[in-house]
Formats: sequence, C-alpha cells, structure tokens
Amino acid sequence: MNEEKKLRVAVIGLGKLGILHTAVVNMIPNAELAAIADINNQLSKYVAQAGLKAPFFSDTDRMLAEIEPDAVVICTPAFANLPVVERCLARDVDVFIEKPLAHTFDAAKKMVGLVSGRKIIHATGYLFAHMGLYKRAKHLIADGVLGRLYRVRSSVYTSEVFSKKKGWYYDPAKSGGGAVINIASHLLYVLYWYFGPAKSAFAQTRSIHSDVEDAATALLEFEDGLQGTMDVSWSVPGFRLPYTEIHVEGENGTMELTNDAIKLYLYKAHKEYPKEWTTIHKIDMPSTSRFEIGAEGLYEEDQDFVGRCLDRRPPAVTWNDGFEVQRMIEAIYRSAARKKVVAIGEIQ
Amino acid sequence: MTVKLDPLILGANPFEGVSYIGRSQSLHYLEYFAKEDNVAAVLDAAYSAGVRALTCSNTANVIGALQKFPKSQDLSVYPVIPNAYEYAMEASEKGVLGAIMSKAKGFSMYQKVKLGLRALTKIKSVLTKDVMDMLLELLNFEMISFEKMKLGGVILHGQITDLALSSRNPDILSFFQDVIRENYGVEPILATHNFGVLLPQLIEWKIKIPIMAPLNSKGFMMKPSKEECEALVRDSGYQIIAKKVLAGGRLSPEEAFPYLLDKKIESVVVGIGSVPEAYHTFTVAKNILKI
Repeated sequence: MNEEKKLRVAVIGLGKLGILHTAVVNMIPNAELAAIADINNQLSKYVAQAGLKAPFFSDTDRMLAEIEPDAVVICTPAFANLPVVERCLARDVDVFIEKPLAHTFDAAKKMVGLVSGRKIIHATGYLFAHMGLYKRAKHLIADGVLGRLYRVRSSVYTSEVFSKKKGWYYDPAKSGGGAVINIASHLLYVLYWYFGPAKSAFAQTRSIHSDVEDAATALLEFEDGLQGTMDVSWSVPGFRLPYTEIHVEGENGTMELTNDAIKLYLYKAHKEYPKEWTTIHKIDMPSTSRFEIGAEGLYEEDQDFVGRCLDRRPPAVTWNDGFEVQRMIEAIYRSAARKKVVAIGEIQ
Repeated sequence: MTVKLDPLILGANPFEGVSYIGRSQSLHYLEYFAKEDNVAAVLDAAYSAGVRALTCSNTANVIGALQKFPKSQDLSVYPVIPNAYEYAMEASEKGVLGAIMSKAKGFSMYQKVKLGLRALTKIKSVLTKDVMDMLLELLNFEMISFEKMKLGGVILHGQITDLALSSRNPDILSFFQDVIRENYGVEPILATHNFGVLLPQLIEWKIKIPIMAPLNSKGFMMKPSKEECEALVRDSGYQIIAKKVLAGGRLSPEEAFPYLLDKKIESVVVGIGSVPEAYHTFTVAKNILKI
C-alpha cells in the first residue's frame, strides 16, 4: 500500500451513519476528510462548530467540482443513492456506499452497470465483513471444519418498531422495504459470503405496525443442497441492539455463531479444533482497529476502502457483492408477493 | 488539580441490559432490572460491601431505585451524560434533534421553563441554536434527573468524547468542563473507548481532567492497543477511573483485580448483575486492591 499518499475523501449525507463515517475518516492516518455534503444547509454551522476543518456543501455537484475528492463515502437515504452515485461516477470518483446499494433492485442494477468494466473502486457497507468473529467463522467454514454442509438456520431480531413510525425509513417508496432490506440485509450478506449466492427463496413477510414489512421468514436454497432459513423482525422486545444468530449443520458437526461467540461441536477433531466443544468468545479476539466509534468494524471498513483506493485493489465488499445481496432481497420480496418459490436466476 | 474520586464505583451497565457475554444474560438483566426493587437490592448490597458511589445514565429504573434506596444520600452519583444510546435508538425515525425533543416531552412544564425549553417545542427553533447552546441545554436537561443527589462528578458519555476527539476539536470538551464546574460545582470526567488516542490529544490541548477508560488484562476495548494504554496509564499523570476491569465478564474478580495492583489508577468501576455478585466482587476488590 502507498503509505505516503493521503486519500482525499468526501462524506455525502450527514445522518447518523454519515456522522460516524465522518468521525472515522477523520481518524484514518492515510485519509484526509476533504469535504462534507448534505442537502440540509443548516448543518453547515454544526460542521464548523464541531471543529471539522472540511468545507461543507449543500450541493453535491458543487462539492465534486470544487473539491475534486479522490473518493466519496455516501450515506444518503437509500432512494437517493443512484442519483448521487451517477454524479460521482461521472467524475471517476471511487465510491463507498452504505448498505443497501439502493432501495430497488433496478436502481442497484443500474449502479452496478455504471462501474462495470471501469477502474473505479466500489465498496458497500456490509459491516460484518470487517468484524473479527464473523471473519473467524468464515475461515472455519472455508477451511472445511464442518465438512459438507447440510443446513443453516439464521435470524436477526431487534426492538425498534412497536407502533407506526414516520420518516423515509418506513416509506416503502423511499426505503424499498422494511426489516428485510434494512436489518436482514446484513445477515443475507453473511449467508452470501459464507455459502455463495442463494439459488431460490420462498418467503412470507408481515406488516404489523408499518407500511413496510416488520418481519419476514424465508426458506433459502444454496449450492450443493445446502438448505437455509432466515427469520427477521424489528418488533421483538428484549433486543436493545440487533442480535444475529447463525446455526450451521455439517457432516462433521455444528457451528453456532452469535454477536458474542462461536460455539463449535465437532464429531472429529479438525486441525487445532478438538472433538466436541470449542467456544471462541468475541472478547478474547485481538483488536484489529486503532479507533472505535459507533460500531465494531466501522474503522476497519473505512480503512479497507481507503487502503484499496490507494493500492487499486478490490475492497472486502464490492458493489458486485452488494448486488448479490440485493438479488436475495428482491427474491424474498417477489416470493412473498407471489406466495411462490422464486429462483434467484430469474432476477436479472 | 487532583480530584478526589471514590475508589470503588458501582457501574450500571447490567441495570441497562448490557452484557458482553451473551444474549441470555442480557435478556436476564433487562427483565430482572426492569424492577426498580432489584436495582435497589444491588445498590444495598454494594453499599453493605462498602461501596459509596454509583455511575449511571438517567434511565428510569436506576433513577427510580435511587429514589427508593434509603441510603442514596450517602452515595456519590457520577451521572454519565448525555444518554447517547437512547437518542441513537430514536434518531432513525426522528433525527438526532427530534430524539432529544421527544425526551423533553417527559418533563413537567416547571422543568421546561427552568431549562428554557418551552421555546424548544419545535425542531425548527432548535436548529437556529448553535452547537454550544444545544449542548448546554442537553447537559442541563439530562442533569434534571440527578437533582437533589450528591454528585461525585459528571461524566461525558464516551460516544460524545470520542466524537469530539474525532473532530479534533477541544472546544466541546473545554465547554463541558466549564459547564459542569460552574453549573454543578463538581469535576468533569471524560469517558472514552479510545483512551490511547484521546490522552495524547488531551495533553496537546492542555485539558487535564479524570478519564474513565477500559483497563483489563485481556486488553478488551483498550484502543489503540493494550501496551499503548498501559504506558499512558503509567506515565501520563492523569487520574484514571478503570472500567471493563472484568473484561466484559470473561475474568473473575480474583483473576481481574491483581492486574490493577501496579497500575496508577484512582478508581475502579464495576457493573454488577446480582446481590451475591455485589458482595463477592467488592469484597475481592477491597481485599486485593487494599481499599
């Protein structure tokens, strides 16, 4: 990696995640926060008074023209992603975009088409790819600790929606959906990362409080006969933060992955992993970041993007990966609407 | 200036359902400590074990328990403000400012008038204020819950400290110091999850106040590294309140406290999940640390 050069990064969209990415970018040694853009001009004085040296723009085009950043971190609401991306890519700027890629499959497809065949570095904010415990579980599966895989059961729950809520997040035309696209997309990314693209989905969604779905259940089929389930709800009490569980069953045992630990049960020892029980606690894993704010993995995620922009190699999660997740999301929504199994291959 | 800090402080993470060990423990804490009486029972056990200080946010169960606990006037309370977690939970729907205003709805008209919040019933009027005015209102607003309590110090929430650190701006931290000293007559304290990054910056900014930061033999949450944090604890001369000393529950008190023996720290915060745990943990802490 080129240690000398600093990547000039602009952050677009100053909501909750935009604030966190601004903070992280400002702490990465080989990055320079070059500008901040948000359509709400009133935020300009907050940026200045918070002590951020970067200039503020309420017009993204003007920011791109005047600042000419090397890269942008886009944290706009999902429905605004495509138009912002189009403007950035017109200037050959490398782009990190918060998940999901877009609010609709068609918008995501256009975005991927815009970078296809070009030397643009493009990354998507699927944070789990940067968390130590999830990387360790990926390594275990890829290393064949469980042998041939038979079944995977997965879920993510959080206590967030217990009455009708306002805002773009809960407006299907702007968010593209509810618990599946906003909460379960992280879990779907992990399933894709571990097991490859799904082949088909059969799903049901349920709207209890919202105009978007508050919960969903999906049967997923992966390559080599791996069967999977995915359950999501943002309307379950007792989950102060989103809680993810993935249970994998294979010919040599089982693996249970949660936010806190990996628990292995092996029928036969595999390399350093003994027969029967092994628990790997998150707390025991070495730190991989020099700074942390908001969420584990956020610093590593931005550091990966910055590093890959400088050395021109693909980041951990590209838009192509994000697009595969978007296909799974689309399959779940189509299946729920049709009440039929949907082959992922039909989603083109 | 050296500030007098309580050597043992009861932490409130379990009271708020926080567990680093696992979901079942977190759920148990949420259910068990939803009852103020159970929080009060742990306060009482900690008090009986010789603890005279508590650090907490303005969560309803803890404030309610403090009102019930007959010896609460003997406790030094170290409020952690602002309650960033609560605001973050509501911010998706209402925005950060909307989340703050939503919280304000719970206050009486008397409290709103006292705070000058009556004019702040609309988000628009909040947006016309500058950052320091807003921060002042937020701090005063949160301190209402701690009125009439004996304060040991006031702790700036780690997320806010670290956000100020990331913007490389000393003004917010200086402002916090001034407000807490002038309005509440106690010492400001900074919580952080980035101790080894924060402290060199504070030295450069010439801000010298106590810091509450993770310190444990596992290096859990010690950023940027265990070794760098240990060196700063040893050499910086800052007053340190050690937290996460049990490494999120992975260390027993017998394993955890000897590590602190040769560390230059003033105080230790430990969250407690039950009455027996309170007696056990604080007895071991007092014996090993000779408090």
